[in-house]
Amino acid sequence: MTGRRGGRPLVPAYLSTGGVARPSRAHLERLSVLTGSGEQAPADLPAAQAALLEELEYGSLTVQEAAALLRLPVSAVLVLAADLLDRDLVLARAPIPPARRFDPDLLKRVADGLRDLKHR
Amino acid sequence: MIEVPDLAVGALALGTLSAFALGGGLLRSRRQLAAQRAKTAALRAQLDGTSRTFTSEVEHLAARRLPAAARQAAHSHVTVPGPLNPQLAGSPLGFALEQVLNGLHAELAAQRTRIDAAAQAGMRGATREIQAALYRLQDALRGLQQRYDDPELAQTLFELDHENEQSLRRAQIAAVVCGAWVGLAREESHLVDAVTGGQARLAGYRRVRVANHLDSGTALVSHAVEPVAIIVAELLDNALRHSAPDTDVVVNLEAVHHGVCVTVDDAGLGMTQDERARAQRMVAGSDPILLTELGDPPRMGLAAIGQLTRQFDLSVDVSSPSPYGGVRAVLRVDSHLLTRIDPEELPPAASAPRSTRKAAVRGSGSGSGTPKGSGAGLPGTPPAPRPVTAAPPVAPPHEPESVAPPHEPEPAPAAESDGSRPAAEPGNPEPLPTAATATASQEHDHGYGSEQDAGDDTPVPGHHGPREGGGLPQRRRRGRATNSSGPAAAEPAAPRRPAAEAAPQRRPRRPEESAAALGALQSGTAAARSAAGPNTTAVPAVSDGAPAATTADGASEDTDSNDHEGGTAR
Repeated sequence: MTGRRGGRPLVPAYLSTGGVARPSRAHLERLSVLTGSGEQAPADLPAAQAALLEELEYGSLTVQEAAALLRLPVSAVLVLAADLLDRDLVLARAPIPPARRFDPDLLKRVADGLRDLKHR
Repeated sequence: MIEVPDLAVGALALGTLSAFALGGGLLRSRRQLAAQRAKTAALRAQLDGTSRTFTSEVEHLAARRLPAAARQAAHSHVTVPGPLNPQLAGSPLGFALEQVLNGLHAELAAQRTRIDAAAQAGMRGATREIQAALYRLQDALRGLQQRYDDPELAQTLFELDHENEQSLRRAQIAAVVCGAWVGLAREESHLVDAVTGGQARLAGYRRVRVANHLDSGTALVSHAVEPVAIIVAELLDNALRHSAPDTDVVVNLEAVHHGVCVTVDDAGLGMTQDERARAQRMVAGSDPILLTELGDPPRMGLAAIGQLTRQFDLSVDVSSPSPYGGVRAVLRVDSHLLTRIDPEELPPAASAPRSTRKAAVRGSGSGSGTPKGSGAGLPGTPPAPRPVTAAPPVAPPHEPESVAPPHEPEPAPAAESDGSRPAAEPGNPEPLPTAATATASQEHDHGYGSEQDAGDDTPVPGHHGPREGGGLPQRRRRGRATNSSGPAAAEPAAPRRPAAEAAPQRRPRRPEESAAALGALQSGTAAARSAAGPNTTAVPAVSDGAPAATTADGASEDTDSNDHEGGTAR
């Protein structure tokens, strides 16, 4: 019973940010990578921010991962992360863009060329 | 001849005598008659008087006393007037009239209960439906919250969710007052979650400050979770409503001998003696609740608390004033309603305030058992003989292992920790090594420092966890492990030292550390190659060209992370 994580959450998400859903900085995304800056956290840090920082103490996380671990929606974690960024407690890195696919036509032509070379 | 007159005289005399006698008798009888008549008249007058009194008494009963008695059933302050004639009080008539009143009273009370029960049943049905609908709405809203992270939309969703929570709370307490079940089965949950959840149901939740002084892992058994949340919400609602909007409402969670106390203090107006007595009666839940007694609009909060305290064996006290000037409400949850949840396995919600007990654990660990708090409040000992679940027994077996692996490499842990351990320790510019960690753990005074310190013992449970769980690696929280290492904290300080020294090596490496290590490796290679450059010009060209060719972004990524290195080192 203890290990089961089902059920309706007791604490709604808006409580984590005090009802704010507009982050103080806009550039954070779902896949932005958050890293603890190692600065000492002030004692009066709101609970949810402290929880996020605690997760980051263990390593870097994307916003999405942090949201999953904290069981909060991404929008709330964005706000928390932005607040922590404002306090210099967290560093953020832009998401790693997906590698661009090579044009399959080009690859095919290169392969053909190589085959040509081999057969020659 | 003479005899005849004699005879006549005699007869005459006799006649006269008898006439006298008759006359006297007649006179007497007439007098008697008159007396009779007078007596009759007097009796009739008396009868008239009595029947008039009786009539007026009955009229009085109908006109004054019965309505008053009926009203008294609803409003106990109404007094029923006595009989018109005070002398009637002890007489059989007076008694009979009292019986009439009593009968009316009993019947009215029964009638009232019946009607109230019907009203409650109707309301119960309606609110139950509403509550279910609101839960469905909540599910929908939370689904949307998970799916969309556009700030504007999220803001709206948060507001809607909050509105929904408030409506839900209203519907729920109405149902509870009407004798319904709380309407939601929950799993056993952290007590602080229940309190925070209750807080979230209120409009003024931002004014509430929760201080959690419980052992982390203190939890409620499943059937007590929702009632506690409801009670806390109602107590907080009262506190918020009766205090100025610029004041805070302070909630303290404390362990006491018999369980746990949730104390709600407001800095508001406070209550008068009468109000306090009434409130105390309501929250005690000893009197049956009648909807009609709750006022218009019905004030359900205290009544709901009363229902729940009676049903779930909780106790609420509102009889003492708060040192802040307002009201102090204390909810006591006895130990039979408490249980323990491993906070690593199932951490409390992110918004729930962390326990302040960590500092106590650390204090007693490094400061060799500083007496902190009361005897019952020592970190390792839960405040009640509640069933201590797996956490403490699990931790000690790992304790020796955490020291052992550096000396005798166990195959599995070594392999795993090697994977996550820095491979190139010397080339690491980060303040990772022992000295830094030691100083860090010394200079951090607040929760985080203590977590780091306590965490030094526990990374091994963290590493072992996944294998116990069977297969996949799991993130384990180091900070929350503090409590499970309670028994370890009770050990003398000596065995802790090696653990702390061994710990930095097995600390999981951070990405930027590995990036730095790889960067050092790369630059070293590049330097070596450029030194050997003239001989093999082609090779560096390829090695330089390859990263550039794969993605230009990769390069920018690199510089980006290097920037952050700088930021971290600062």
